This record gives sequence, C-alpha cells and structure tokens, in this order.
Amino acid sequence: MMDPTTILTLMNTVAAQVPEAAVATGISGTALIKAGALIGAGICMGFGAIGPGIGEGFAAGKACEAIGRSPQEAGLLTRTMLIGQAVSESTGIYSLVVALLMLFVIS
Amino acid sequence: MDLEPHTWLMLGKYIGAGIALGFGGVGAAIGMGNAAAQANVAMMRQPKVQSEMLRTMLIGQAVGGSPSIFALVVGLLILFVSPANPELVGGNYFAAVVGAGLSIGFGAFGSGLGCGWPAGSACDGVARNPHRSSHSTQSMIIGQAVAQSPSIFALVVGLILILTAKDGTDLPTMGIAMGAGLAMGVSAFGSGIGSGKAAGGALDAIGRWPLAYGVTLRTMLIGQAVCETPAIFGMLVAFIMMFALGDLSPGLLGFAKVTGAAIAVGFGGIGPGIGSGLTAAKACQATAARPDKDTLILRTMLIGQAVSQSTAIYALIIALTLLYVVS
Repeated sequence: MMDPTTILTLMNTVAAQVPEAAVATGISGTALIKAGALIGAGICMGFGAIGPGIGEGFAAGKACEAIGRSPQEAGLLTRTMLIGQAVSESTGIYSLVVALLMLFVIS
Repeated sequence: MDLEPHTWLMLGKYIGAGIALGFGGVGAAIGMGNAAAQANVAMMRQPKVQSEMLRTMLIGQAVGGSPSIFALVVGLLILFVSPANPELVGGNYFAAVVGAGLSIGFGAFGSGLGCGWPAGSACDGVARNPHRSSHSTQSMIIGQAVAQSPSIFALVVGLILILTAKDGTDLPTMGIAMGAGLAMGVSAFGSGIGSGKAAGGALDAIGRWPLAYGVTLRTMLIGQAVCETPAIFGMLVAFIMMFALGDLSPGLLGFAKVTGAAIAVGFGGIGPGIGSGLTAAKACQATAARPDKDTLILRTMLIGQAVSQSTAIYALIIALTLLYVVS
C-alpha cells in the first residue's frame, strides 16, 4: 500500500515537469492549440460515427425482416427505412461538419 | 523525454504485451462462454444427440479461440523478442510495440466475440434438426472464418509494426506507430462483431429453415463482406501511415495529425461494422423464411448497409484530410 503523501509528492513532481518539458522541446501555446484542434477533429468524427452506424444498421435489419414477412409492401418499407436512416444519419453529419470546422476554420 | 534505452524497452514490452493479451482475451472468452451456454440449452432440449452438439460446440470454440491465440503470439513476441540494437531503443520502439498491442488487442476482441454467436446458434440448430447437423457445422466454420479476417488484418499490421520498429525517439514517428495500431485494431473490433452477428443470424436461420441453406449462406457471405469494409478502411489508413506518408510536419503537429486520423478512422469504423452486421443477421433470417423473395431482401440489405457505411466513409475522409490536406 502506497503512502498518500508519496502519491501527492509524485503528482506534484510530474506536474512541475510539464511546463519545463514544453519549454525544453520548444512546444508553443499556438502549436498546442492547433494540435488539440486536430486530435479533437479525429475524436469528434470517430466517436460521432458510432451511433449512426449502429442505428442505421438496426433500422435496415428490421426493414429486411418486415420485407420478409410482407414482400408486397417492399416499396413502402424501403421508403420508411431510408427516411429513418436519413434522420439517424444527421448526427453523423453534425460530427462531420464540426470536424471540418475544427480542421479548417478554428485552428 | 529523456529515458534510458532500457527503460523504454521494458516500458514498451510490459505495456504492449499487457494491452495485447488483456484486450485480446476478453472477446474469445465471452464468445466461447456464449457457445457453451447455448450448447447447454440445446442439450437440455435434445439430450439424445448431445455428442453431436458437444462436437459442434468444441469445433466452434476451437475456431473462435484462434483470435486470442493471435494475441498470445503477438504478446509473447513483444515480451521475449528483443530488438537488434537494445542500446539504440527509444520512444519509437515503445510506440511500435504499444501500437502492435492495440492492433491485435482490439482486433482479437471483436473477432473473438463475433465467433461466439455462430457457434452458439449452430448448437441450437443441431438441436432443432439433428439429422442435418453437418449443414450447421459447415456453415458455422465458414461464418467464423470470415468473422476472423479482421483479426488477421490486425495480426498483419501488428507484426509489421514490431518488425519495422525504428531506433531513437521522435514524436511524429511515435504517433505513426501508435496511430497505425489504433486505426487497425479499433476498426477491426467493429467489423469482427458485425461479421459474427451476421453469421450468428444466418446459423439461427439455417437451424430453423434448413431447406434454405444455400441461399441463406449466400446472403450471409455478401453481408459479411460489407461488414469488413470498416476494417479495410482501417488497414488502408494504417498502411498509408506506415509506408505512404510523405513529409509529415515535425513535432507535436505531426503527432496530432496522425493521432487524430487514427482515432477518426478507428472509432468511426465501430458503428458501421456492428450496424451492417445487425442488418445482415436480420436479412439472413428473412431470406431463410422466404427463400422465394431472396433478391428483394438482398437488395434491401445492401441499400441499408450502404447507408450505414456512410459514416465510416466520412471518418475515412476526415482521416485522409488530416493526413494530406491540413497544413
């Protein structure tokens, strides 16, 4: 079991290194902001794509199931599936827009 | 960071092997447990053919366990194979082995988890139609083989990362190594789960409607192929990072570019991979129930999967923009 004061001292030591390391390797504040925007764009699009992908797949699966049950309604079901998927897609498009904003406008 | 070569070497070995086996074992363990659970239920229903089910379960578990064996191989390679010049080891070697661990760890997680569903459904299918058990076992092996391909992509990228590790320490090269591993591993995670889900649905359908065996298998294979797309995007970005990246900006900016691209294409592949798998599973069940309407269902499945893949394509676009367009 580690002594709490040891952990505190260790954390303080690590925290004290950060500005010195930044000065030593020549990382400026502007570069840090730019780097943050680039990684942020990646996180935004990456995690933002999870939800629409699963949601649209779920909608399409249920559409296939429904068409299997009543094939004569295939047109109606496909239309409904596509409308539902388009709505589900919107958060993916928001992510894309925000990622592009971070890449080209903010940074 | 000024660390001794030996410190970098040991840090890389322990963290890399830990990630590889820690994550790589989870999926196969859950998948095998799922297969055993469904085999138990199936044996309860049909105790007379329990030896058939035991065989199917063991074959399914053996095939489904191989992603975790890939992770074991990479983990042992990381632990026990030392680089040629241990005194030149720096942050780049550390990043390469951690990247290899991320690649095979997450890749084996998805494929291992995915391979459990067809194994479980195959046992269920044997219980429903004991005299057609060979159909169930055959389709299970085919489905599992396809569901394993993302983990094989991840194995290839992991081995390339370990074998091409560079000497010294520089931030963009570290970013490339860890980013290539992350992009490949996490996108393979989604594709593995999706392909497994598709195979699970198909096996369930073949168990219920054994006469539609051929047409269901066709729908399953087409659906699984679409599920693999995000893993292929991830592999593409990993190879671009490792071999086809021209002059990357030095320092933190280059590191940020490759890390951002890796996170985008890696995590962006999870959703489309799983979603396409859910679609393919339902399409297989619908095809088996109504084999006369197979082309209509196949068409709907492909449209639905294509829409589901669109977010993976957005993620690929953002990744390529980060790598090539942003200055």
